[in-house]
Amino acid sequence: MTSPLMDIRGLTKTFSLPGGPLRRLTGRGPRKLTALNDVSLQIHEGEILSIVGESGSGKTTLGRALLRLEEPTAGEVDFRGQDLLKLSHVPLLAARRELQMIFQDPWSSLNPRLSIRQTLAEVLYVHGIATGARAQARIAELLNLVGLPPEAADRYPRHFSGGQRQRIGIARALAVAPSFLVADEPVSAVDVSVQAQIMNLLIDLRARLGLTMLIIAHDLSVVRYISDRVGVMYFGRIVEMATSDRIFSSPRHPYTQGLLRAAPRPDPSRLSTTVAIHGEPPSPLNPPKGCAFHTRCPWADARCRTETPALTELHSDHTVACHNHDQTTEFT
Amino acid sequence: MTETPIIPTGRLPLLGSSVVRRLIGQRGAMVAGAAILIVIIGASFLAPWITPYDPLDQNLRGGLKPPSWEHLFGTDNFGRDIFTRVLYAAKIDLSISFLCVLFPWVLGTILGALAGYFGGFADTLIMRTVDTFTAFPFLIMAIGVIAVLGPGMTSIYIALTLAGWSMYARIVRAEVLVVKRAEYILAARALGFSHARIIARHVLPNIITPTIIFAMTDIVLVILSTTTLAFLGLGLPPPTPTWGTMISEGKSFIFTAWWIVTLPGLAIVLVGISLSLLGDGIADWLRNRE
Amino acid sequence: MTLLLDIRGLTTVIPTRKGPLTVVDDLTFTLESGQCLGLVGESGSGKSMACRSLLGLVPVADSTTSGQALYKSNDLAKLSETALTKIRGREIAMMVQDAVSALNPVWRIGDQITEAMLAHGITRTRGEARSRAVALMRQVGIPDPENRLDDYPHQFSGGMCQRVVIAAALACNPQLIIADEPTTALDVTVQDQILKLLIALQRDLGLGLLLVTHDMGVVAQSCQRVAVMYAGQIVEIADTPDLFTAPHHPYTQGLLDCIPRLDTAEDSLRLTPINGMPPDLADLPRGCRFHPRCPIATEACREGPIPLRETAPGRLSRCLRAEDMAARTLARVSA
Repeated sequence: MTSPLMDIRGLTKTFSLPGGPLRRLTGRGPRKLTALNDVSLQIHEGEILSIVGESGSGKTTLGRALLRLEEPTAGEVDFRGQDLLKLSHVPLLAARRELQMIFQDPWSSLNPRLSIRQTLAEVLYVHGIATGARAQARIAELLNLVGLPPEAADRYPRHFSGGQRQRIGIARALAVAPSFLVADEPVSAVDVSVQAQIMNLLIDLRARLGLTMLIIAHDLSVVRYISDRVGVMYFGRIVEMATSDRIFSSPRHPYTQGLLRAAPRPDPSRLSTTVAIHGEPPSPLNPPKGCAFHTRCPWADARCRTETPALTELHSDHTVACHNHDQTTEFT
Repeated sequence: MTETPIIPTGRLPLLGSSVVRRLIGQRGAMVAGAAILIVIIGASFLAPWITPYDPLDQNLRGGLKPPSWEHLFGTDNFGRDIFTRVLYAAKIDLSISFLCVLFPWVLGTILGALAGYFGGFADTLIMRTVDTFTAFPFLIMAIGVIAVLGPGMTSIYIALTLAGWSMYARIVRAEVLVVKRAEYILAARALGFSHARIIARHVLPNIITPTIIFAMTDIVLVILSTTTLAFLGLGLPPPTPTWGTMISEGKSFIFTAWWIVTLPGLAIVLVGISLSLLGDGIADWLRNRE
Repeated sequence: MTLLLDIRGLTTVIPTRKGPLTVVDDLTFTLESGQCLGLVGESGSGKSMACRSLLGLVPVADSTTSGQALYKSNDLAKLSETALTKIRGREIAMMVQDAVSALNPVWRIGDQITEAMLAHGITRTRGEARSRAVALMRQVGIPDPENRLDDYPHQFSGGMCQRVVIAAALACNPQLIIADEPTTALDVTVQDQILKLLIALQRDLGLGLLLVTHDMGVVAQSCQRVAVMYAGQIVEIADTPDLFTAPHHPYTQGLLDCIPRLDTAEDSLRLTPINGMPPDLADLPRGCRFHPRCPIATEACREGPIPLRETAPGRLSRCLRAEDMAARTLARVSA
């Protein structure tokens, strides 16, 4: 087994919320919010790994922590033999050419004051990749790569639709020729008919450029087509990780099963009448003891309320963090 | 969606500009304001060719003469032609006022941007300084600084800059806090751009508009402040003509030779209205563009 | 089953700097009590504007709404503002898209639910209104309602806020609820809860529900009838099972083809997108608005306004080739 391209170990991110003078006086200290709780996973070269979760799951924090847009509180991220979290300024800049990100909101991910040409040229300039005529040629190449006409370069973001802006964002990320791309909810904010275009583009780019991708999403169905493996996050932890096939055909974590059942099926002949998961996610300021999902889980027992389950391996490439995973085999 | 600026930038209905706007329409108002201003500025630069008199030329026997064809605005108690002095004063007052908007704008923008972008200690330090400066009424601070530094051109610049920068800093900081959260800023960080580059190229251009809008209204207040300071004797020392000093010198003659006080005063009002019209027009245009 | 809404040719024009823009064009549909009609479209299709036009709530000054919008026997398009305020909240309740911003952050939850009751004279005293509010909160699944009446919106989660919005909508016993993307801003598991709650309430209380959404899955699971909107027009109306198995408009077919599914047998590696982009309402193509993106467009499609016509009993379509589509589906299914 070749070593993974990226090896994440024990990644943790805790936010301290300012408490105010009363908390300081009573000696309680600031409130803590743990967005990422001891997350470990490996990503192999050339694969597309999707991380799915709802709000509060920590998936966005995970993506940003890898690029050090949020500084993790603890953990290691090994990428090509270096721990990204320990890099100082200059080597970090070099590392940024390898790892790039595309963002969720097409309406705020581009500087409205810069033309597309200026946006892309700036990237090429800052990283010393190309200037002048060579830069212009590269810009034309990048636009072509994402399916935009070369005339697009001289226009401004406001002239483009949401889907086109996402493409521009992808072009910007690809300008540094990265080998690893994190896509933070790349299609959540665009229309359905455009989602397919963008997802297809990502599949194409992976094939043409040999990219490795981490796709963050809240919608399992959207990542089904594109992922090699899927990880499900809940409340700052990975609760299940498996190949795409297995996640969709035989999920074993109650939350994953709930997520799959909750998505409304576009099939009027198969009406779902029962609610998939009852209750609400617990407050991150007041995390439950034991398994974070026990407050909503139909299989929760005493052990679940006190002991946090670790990820156990069911098969090769299928891990699940549930004490009662032997009971969750029935799934339709 | 682009974030809307959170500082309400309403119109400053100064000096009857809203009346004018209703009479000749918004576009008309802006053009009128610009036209008046151009005429005044032009006249101030062309003064040596427009009037045959020297602003400092005294003629004690010809003093206190009312407006006539010889002396369009009359003469003051030293026999100096008031029309000439008003024109020469225009250049001085307008350039001082313009610079006294520019300097606070630059200083306030830089400090406000640093406070908003970096947050933390820089933010606290800068904003508490802003709070301190804001605690002083504008003119009191200006008067105090000039009192310490002594009257003169440089003192005026320093005084008005210190009195005025804090408002810009507040506006800029608020705008920066909003823009900072936009994803294109995050993208710039992910691409490894330096903070300097991000602030200069990505943050500032996106927050400049509200500051320009504010400056448009500020300039009228600054003109009034410079003339007030001059009136209080804290402006440029005589015999340099400035509108404020002219009014101050003429106040003892207000009943006997009304033109000495009134005509420079009218000049101030005219400039104020035209700047107000022009400023409102530009502010509206900028706001609609967003 | 009474006919609640009979909309014919509803058209809304808003003034813009570039001239008048028709954002809702020739809206035509019916809605009966106890029925849920889904209004499906992507962004810019005009579905939100359509809802607002019904209640005279178009957020643009000097907009004009023409056509007929019969609610029972009143033409909403012709009523004065005063008459409309009596209907809004009392007969027809509207739930706007973002629940959290629909609630006033400085008002208590209880007051927001009781406000409409007191304004419309449903209850006489505040005490009555409050106990009714508690009952409503229980009905929508908010735990411990007596104590939560006096909480503020920021103390509620997104899902709970949406439940409060539903309770407020039900406060005056309306006959019709217009829900504009009630679940879009929520997580999937909460979306599931809210949607099922809404449908159950609609069924139990015999209400009419106009459900606006962009999600075909939501429509399939909750609506008996569906209207598809594109570029300001309705392009197809049909009963839900019919629409999903045999659409009569290529846009509907395109929408169905490009949504990712969890349960299809064929594991296709690519989704089939709809090529191109929706048109700019200020610069519409001649003839059928969808024809530049349509895989089966012909010369005839570029000519003249295309009417919404009946292509089968109970089915309307704005496609000239609807019958060809029906025939092709039949061939595919029977093959």
